[in-house]
Amino acid sequence: MSLLRGLLGMDLIRTWVRLFLSFREKLALLDSALLLDVPLGVISRIEKMGGATSRGENSYGLDITCKDMRNLRFALKQEGHSRRGMFEILTKYAFPLAHSLPIFAFLNEEKFNVDGWTVYNPVEEYRRQGLPNHHWRITFINKCYELCDTYPALLVVPYRASDDDLRRVATFRSRNRIPVLSWIHPENKTVIVRCSQPLVGMSGKRNKDDEKYLDVIRETNRQINKLTIYDARPSVNAVANKATGGGYESDDAYHNTELFFLDIHNIHVMRESLKKVKDIVYPNVEESHWLSSLESTHWLEHIKLVLTGAIQVADRVSSGKSSVVVHCSDGWDRTAQLTSLAMLMLDSFYRSIEGFEILVQKEWISFGHKFASRIGHGDKNHADADRSPIFLQFIDCVWQMSKQFPTAFEFNERFLITILDHLYSCRFGTFLYNCESMRERQKVTERTVSLWSLINSNKDKFKNPFYTKEINRVLYPVASMRHLELWVNYYIRWNPRIKQQQPNPVEQRYMELLALRDEYIKRLEELQLANSAKLCDPSASPSGPSQMMPHVQTHF
Amino acid sequence: MEFSELIRTGQAQAELLRGPEAPPLRGTLCVTGHHLLLSPGPQATPDLWLLLLRSVDSIEKRVAGDCGTITLRCKDLRVLQLDIEGVEATLNIARSIEALSSLESVITSFPFFYRPKGLRLGDAWHFHPPERYYKRVAREVLLRSSQPLIGPQKRRCAEDEALLRAVLAGSRPGARGFIVDTRSAQTAKQARMTGGGTEAKAAYPGWKRLHRPLERGRPLQESFVHLVEACGDLEQSMDHWLSRLAGCRWLAHVKEALSTACLAAQGMEREGACILVHGAEGTDSTLVVTSLAQLILDPSSRTMAGFQELVEREWIQAGHPFQLRCAHSAFSHARPKHEAPTFLLFLDCVWQLGRQFPLSLEFGEGMLLALFDHAYASPFGTFLCNSEQERCLCEVRTRTHSLWSGLNQLKEQRKLRNPLYVPNPLALWPSVEPQSLRLWQGLFLRWTRPPEPSEAAWEKVWQIVTDQEKTEGSQPTVSASELQL
Repeated sequence: MSLLRGLLGMDLIRTWVRLFLSFREKLALLDSALLLDVPLGVISRIEKMGGATSRGENSYGLDITCKDMRNLRFALKQEGHSRRGMFEILTKYAFPLAHSLPIFAFLNEEKFNVDGWTVYNPVEEYRRQGLPNHHWRITFINKCYELCDTYPALLVVPYRASDDDLRRVATFRSRNRIPVLSWIHPENKTVIVRCSQPLVGMSGKRNKDDEKYLDVIRETNRQINKLTIYDARPSVNAVANKATGGGYESDDAYHNTELFFLDIHNIHVMRESLKKVKDIVYPNVEESHWLSSLESTHWLEHIKLVLTGAIQVADRVSSGKSSVVVHCSDGWDRTAQLTSLAMLMLDSFYRSIEGFEILVQKEWISFGHKFASRIGHGDKNHADADRSPIFLQFIDCVWQMSKQFPTAFEFNERFLITILDHLYSCRFGTFLYNCESMRERQKVTERTVSLWSLINSNKDKFKNPFYTKEINRVLYPVASMRHLELWVNYYIRWNPRIKQQQPNPVEQRYMELLALRDEYIKRLEELQLANSAKLCDPSASPSGPSQMMPHVQTHF
Repeated sequence: MEFSELIRTGQAQAELLRGPEAPPLRGTLCVTGHHLLLSPGPQATPDLWLLLLRSVDSIEKRVAGDCGTITLRCKDLRVLQLDIEGVEATLNIARSIEALSSLESVITSFPFFYRPKGLRLGDAWHFHPPERYYKRVAREVLLRSSQPLIGPQKRRCAEDEALLRAVLAGSRPGARGFIVDTRSAQTAKQARMTGGGTEAKAAYPGWKRLHRPLERGRPLQESFVHLVEACGDLEQSMDHWLSRLAGCRWLAHVKEALSTACLAAQGMEREGACILVHGAEGTDSTLVVTSLAQLILDPSSRTMAGFQELVEREWIQAGHPFQLRCAHSAFSHARPKHEAPTFLLFLDCVWQLGRQFPLSLEFGEGMLLALFDHAYASPFGTFLCNSEQERCLCEVRTRTHSLWSGLNQLKEQRKLRNPLYVPNPLALWPSVEPQSLRLWQGLFLRWTRPPEPSEAAWEKVWQIVTDQEKTEGSQPTVSASELQL
């Protein structure tokens, strides 16, 4: 039955059993089949509700806000101040950082027969892309994270740019996040390059090295006379960023470039939008004006803008029109969304289970998407302005694509939901910390288990049976509002009134059919074998094997 | 009547544009009594393009220089554009299409001339009485009727009261009945002024009346028109798509229809009650409710054959006036007289049911699309006329082919069947929360969306199913060869 998942040691589990027992009657009254499985990492906020003098049922207890679109409310009895102890223990273990305790991933001793930490090896991934080549080299200039502390150790840069050039460019890019290669087109050799905004500032500063560097990137491909820069932000925001020292590449400074703004809003807008989504789906689903309420959250509109931006990036590159530079302000939120989604559209490798893991590992984890700050792992400051559902939004975009191309992805919906569940759970080390340098320092790969260990040791569960492997097909999803849907199975999964069949009945039935077919084929082969054995015996068969076998085999 | 009188220009050179996905087609355009033909010449791969004139919903012509353009909006929601050489030819062809597509006479319509190979007249017109159905609901019965003619005088009818008493008596002792009136209490009461009304409580003991107002007639048609407009509006910024979709109210109608059907089904299944459904005439929303309730409760109506029986019994034989309701679809500029997409509403509800229970219906989306297309314009006679009586008068059954025999041909099966079907003996209770109901993209965005999406996945399933059937089918052969040995 129900117990808040402790996984924290026996004494605590006993506490939880008691906690559970003390209100089992009440839960049982509501619904005898109620089952809770809440990793403590999912908890965003714990509040006491009611006081010693509160009257009425369910007025006294704990209210727990979760990061995964639900709230839990535990009604307790007022006698004996049972709540205080519970509140303290919960707070302590749900927010270990505030109590100088380790995050649960460091205590987790689960064992899997696959080591997920070996999934991503940057050298191998770049080699798969055909790198290094004549125009692009691998540099270890950031080996000790001295060039840029939020970038990975290994970077791919233009062959013609020296390490000194890179250092000079770094001074002109926000947080030293210089333009580096994310992906190269296997045929036309155009590239996707990512970076942060240039430090133009109010005075319109210029930097010859940065300008030259972008031109060197352009020249890695002879046919191209313009380099396309996609600034993910709305143009007003890009201009406003000049006030804080940032900005964008102006025409007069960067000659052979063209700049487009993609109108994607910042982390604060996305956080507020998701908050509105939660308001209309939890605890009660807005019913009477569902569609217009959904519209007023703007969530699908943001999804549309992110997808539209990624489609533009992918189209530029796949058509060979030009190489593309993508940045936003710091280049770790919107930029990661755009590069990874464009890569998913362009490169079928990333649509396999391992390919997708590599994509997340590369574009998000290694390039310093600030998971710790955006999610707030183990941190009690639920109102922290740094929190934002940027990665969730990316996964939502992937889900939208998988809906539109049901045979293109090796993974299923459960795979995406599992990734999101463990984005918060703190059971694995995969999403901990803000950047690679921090993870190195904390020896995350040695001290924690990777989420990919869980997934790769049980891959069948996460496979899409309709998957058809295709090479070199570019997927352009339709990013029109008509074709986007709210991901009901994720956002509204806690609502018992929304019909949800897990596992997906279509997938399951398809697997059954596959198994049935295999079984028939096997039985048929056995029969054929038995037949041919008899047929080989000349005394048993007057007609001889050559006449019989083709008859049996024509059915394939 | 001579069609030739209505055909002003027989032929012209033209180019046909069929939307973003299909390539344009150039050739000789030709108007015949029932069809528009485009013949691209002997070398072309699709050697002939054919459109039933009956399926043209509205026609728009424009001329510029010595060329003209005709835009045809079809009843299946397709939009076609014809670029025609010659102003005179354009105008004449447009006039011919206009005249021929709106002929009202049933017996000169195409089904009376359609003689496809491989089908015999008279086939599949007669269904065997669906015994299973009656057996299954042995105790609780689902009835439909029209409103009682109470009138302003509050008349009563002893026979009518006795009939409903007998229904309860025929069920189990102490059985209750529910009358689901598909009008609001107010409307039902007002109907007395025109001679109708609804069952008075005192006159029908044991029966409880429930009012579940369902939109019908013009508001339903307008909802359909607005929705199709919104779906076809590719220019407008789509930031307000969702509120526009909500404003069309189509999904609200779907929700209401499904919930009322659930209510009727629940009354039978969970309360063991007898259910009588009616509105005013009992030929529109009543049929939506009774046919959906059967799909919810009765597994045999979810098979390919059972569903055809259901449509035949609950819609065609029950006298849904198809000819009036489906005279025009969503594009006509004419003021709607009797048009209403009641049958489409039913099909949409079935689609929602199929989406929520993807394994439980033996037929797939293709079947629902085919029924929609054929209800509005068809070479088959099944949806002709407004009632059994009219069909008899026109000798529809002897002189036209039945849609069912057309659909039940082997070559059609892959399009119509659900390869994942597993018979489900349970009732299907759909979720009617707005979050669970979707726009039926396969219908409303059929001609504007990229064709690829789900077809590829279905093709894979079919591959597996056929492979499996082949293997299964070949087993007897193997055993037979064993016997020979």
